[in-house]
Amino acid sequence: MTTQTGTFPYMRRAEKSKFLSWALTTDHKRIGILYLVTAFFFFLVGGIEALLIRLQLAAPGAEVLGPDAYNQVFTMHGMTMIFLGAMPIAIGFANYMVPLMIGAKDMVFPKLNALSYWMFIFGGIFMYSSFLLGGAPDKGWFAYAPMTMPAYSPGMRMDFWALGVIVLVVSSTVGSINIIVTILQMRARGMRITQVPMFVWNMLITSFIGVFAFPSVLVAAALLLLDRQLGTQFFNTGAGGDAMLWQHIFWFFGHPEVYILILPAMGIMSEVVPVFSRKPLFGFTIIAFSTAAIGVLSFMVWAHHMFSTGMSQIALLFFAADSFLIGVPTGIKIFSWLATMWGGKIRFTTSMLFAMGFIVMFVIGGITGIHVASVPLDWQVTDSYYVVGHFHYVLFGGTILGFLAGLFYWFPKMSGRLLGERMGKLSFWTIMIGMNMVFLPMHYLGLAGMPRRVYTYPADAGWAFWNMFETWGAFITATGFLFIIINIVMTLRRPATHEADPWDGYTLEWATSSPPPPENFDSLPPVRSRRPLWDAKHPDMADTH
Amino acid sequence: MNQANIKPRTGLDSAKVATIVVLGSETFFFGTLVSAYLFMRGVYPWPLDGAPLSRLVIPAANTLLLLVSVLTMYLALRAARAGGKAALVTWSTVTLALGLVFVGGQVLEYTSNGMMPGDQGFGGVFLTLMGFHALHLLAGVVMLALIAMRARLGDFTPRRHTAVEVGAWFWYYVAGVWAVLFTILYLI
Ligand code: HEM
Repeated sequence: MTTQTGTFPYMRRAEKSKFLSWALTTDHKRIGILYLVTAFFFFLVGGIEALLIRLQLAAPGAEVLGPDAYNQVFTMHGMTMIFLGAMPIAIGFANYMVPLMIGAKDMVFPKLNALSYWMFIFGGIFMYSSFLLGGAPDKGWFAYAPMTMPAYSPGMRMDFWALGVIVLVVSSTVGSINIIVTILQMRARGMRITQVPMFVWNMLITSFIGVFAFPSVLVAAALLLLDRQLGTQFFNTGAGGDAMLWQHIFWFFGHPEVYILILPAMGIMSEVVPVFSRKPLFGFTIIAFSTAAIGVLSFMVWAHHMFSTGMSQIALLFFAADSFLIGVPTGIKIFSWLATMWGGKIRFTTSMLFAMGFIVMFVIGGITGIHVASVPLDWQVTDSYYVVGHFHYVLFGGTILGFLAGLFYWFPKMSGRLLGERMGKLSFWTIMIGMNMVFLPMHYLGLAGMPRRVYTYPADAGWAFWNMFETWGAFITATGFLFIIINIVMTLRRPATHEADPWDGYTLEWATSSPPPPENFDSLPPVRSRRPLWDAKHPDMADTH
Repeated sequence: MNQANIKPRTGLDSAKVATIVVLGSETFFFGTLVSAYLFMRGVYPWPLDGAPLSRLVIPAANTLLLLVSVLTMYLALRAARAGGKAALVTWSTVTLALGLVFVGGQVLEYTSNGMMPGDQGFGGVFLTLMGFHALHLLAGVVMLALIAMRARLGDFTPRRHTAVEVGAWFWYYVAGVWAVLFTILYLI
């Protein structure tokens, strides 16, 4: 039917234009790159917003932003990082890598794939256009009622929030369905579902979580719009609605969402750590089950975001116990990576460094997570900077460091060039020092009583020193990302080496040239185990016996 | 369709696998709406409690209509499997028509019971449960129109008629959702 994969039928006419050949592409590798580049751009915008936040908070009484702008900026920082940065970066990696890792030619629905990308970028631009049209959403990323009701939020800000969320979530749902069906349907001959690489498995579970969690936020956003535009009273406690309803609906999505944000990065970890330790992943099956367990449990812990709302004793107990429980499969993963490294021949590449950074940072975020899962502690620290410190250790120290490990690991596959290692290590250490300077003192500030989402604080509160310290840390972190950008630009200006398998990898994406041809593979090695490429290269030490 | 040379690993057509996932997602969508409604009923008295039985006439008639449409949908599917082109066109058109009458009936029901969107929380719940369901049904109507058109063009064979299979799944599903909504809105 199509002689030329990866293009719409009318593409051949547009072939000559470089722009059109990208804009109309349906090739999973190009869409993956479009996703990654666009999402990285939004990530930088979210980062600039973070710097503005930190400048405003650097000293008591600072006048960088002012209260109204501050509310918009921190809300858009959170929205951007979650919906326009972290989630689409994961989808970008998945787009590029999942078909390669399972030995397929493309995603199962290439045109839908293009659709989800274009909806994503449209949603992002739409959300940001609000800055020019009366102001951006300003009620925090979870947009609590009744703050979002017309009485407290006139104008269009929260309508932008709701409509933007609807577009972005539909885009992610379409993308998730595509990933699920691709993994279920397109695996190479011989690759059983229990033999897919761990990144693929994690993307499968992540996508299932998404497909089941996104509808809730879709409902939430739709009901919010109706309340604001049609005069329904869902969330208006005074008029026969209930503001608590918002919290339940939102967090039924919101908590699974945090696993949507972390599981892809954990999948990258489970690729990077074994390859650079020269060992297979320790306890593959247990890890696979732990991912699935996280998927199920993630739907049962939503109300731990609501401990301070006056829930019944029994509900408090249930949700606290559940939340401790979900720490178990998460801990299993940490131990499995450590056991994989144990006794391995570790190669300290930049990718591996970021992976090791992930482990350390994520353990800190995990422990403070257990803190805020225990009701009495949470009552003390909720809505304080302790919480902000906690979730940045998992989101930044986990998700973002995992993505950076993935960037250094897979960049050679996508571009045919290895990123500079010296520059890479410099960026690693800069980011590690910077991020700990920003986020570690937040725990102290939280315990000392500094609330989150305040645009300034009194000079006599005793918070000034650490706030200034954090702001320095933020700029050091930003410098680390500058090094990464310079690294990418300089690497792309060098001629490509097209090395197929620079890391001596295990999985199928390394069995084709770098970057792969339009149809991905000329031929595939036989798939008989979880490390088909290893088996092909080392028949004497193959995993199959 | 795509990548026809690769055998799907589940043995099912990819469109069918995707449909199963979509319907799973839809279940969480309606599940959230239903939970919102039940949550409200836990907080406030439901206005239709103790309404006279005659209030049930329109919704019950509507429900019956939808049940009949499930049957005609099944007949259309059977026709597609047997390669009966004329029967497929007829039954999918009948199903489509029944769907439209149902939506008309829902509009009648909505306007006749006098619950307005702004009436307490429940006005909104009623609107969204009925409204989102009706939107799904209209999506089904569009699918059926496409199916009838393609059937007329001879697009389907006894072996290749995934669109009809998937359309039927969707139709049964939306009817099933209505059965749940009918029960919780009017019967309990
Ligand atoms: C240099 C990097 C970053 C810095 C300096 C930073 C700083 C901050 C600060 C100070 C706040 C609290 C604002 C307030 O409560 O008034 C905040 C909130 C937040 N940040 Fe970051 N952040 C960074 C990176 C990230 C990343 C990578 C993510 C996610 C992937 C993220 C997600 C969030 C979210 C979800 C919020 C909550 C927004 C809200 O309260 O609605 N941040 N950030």
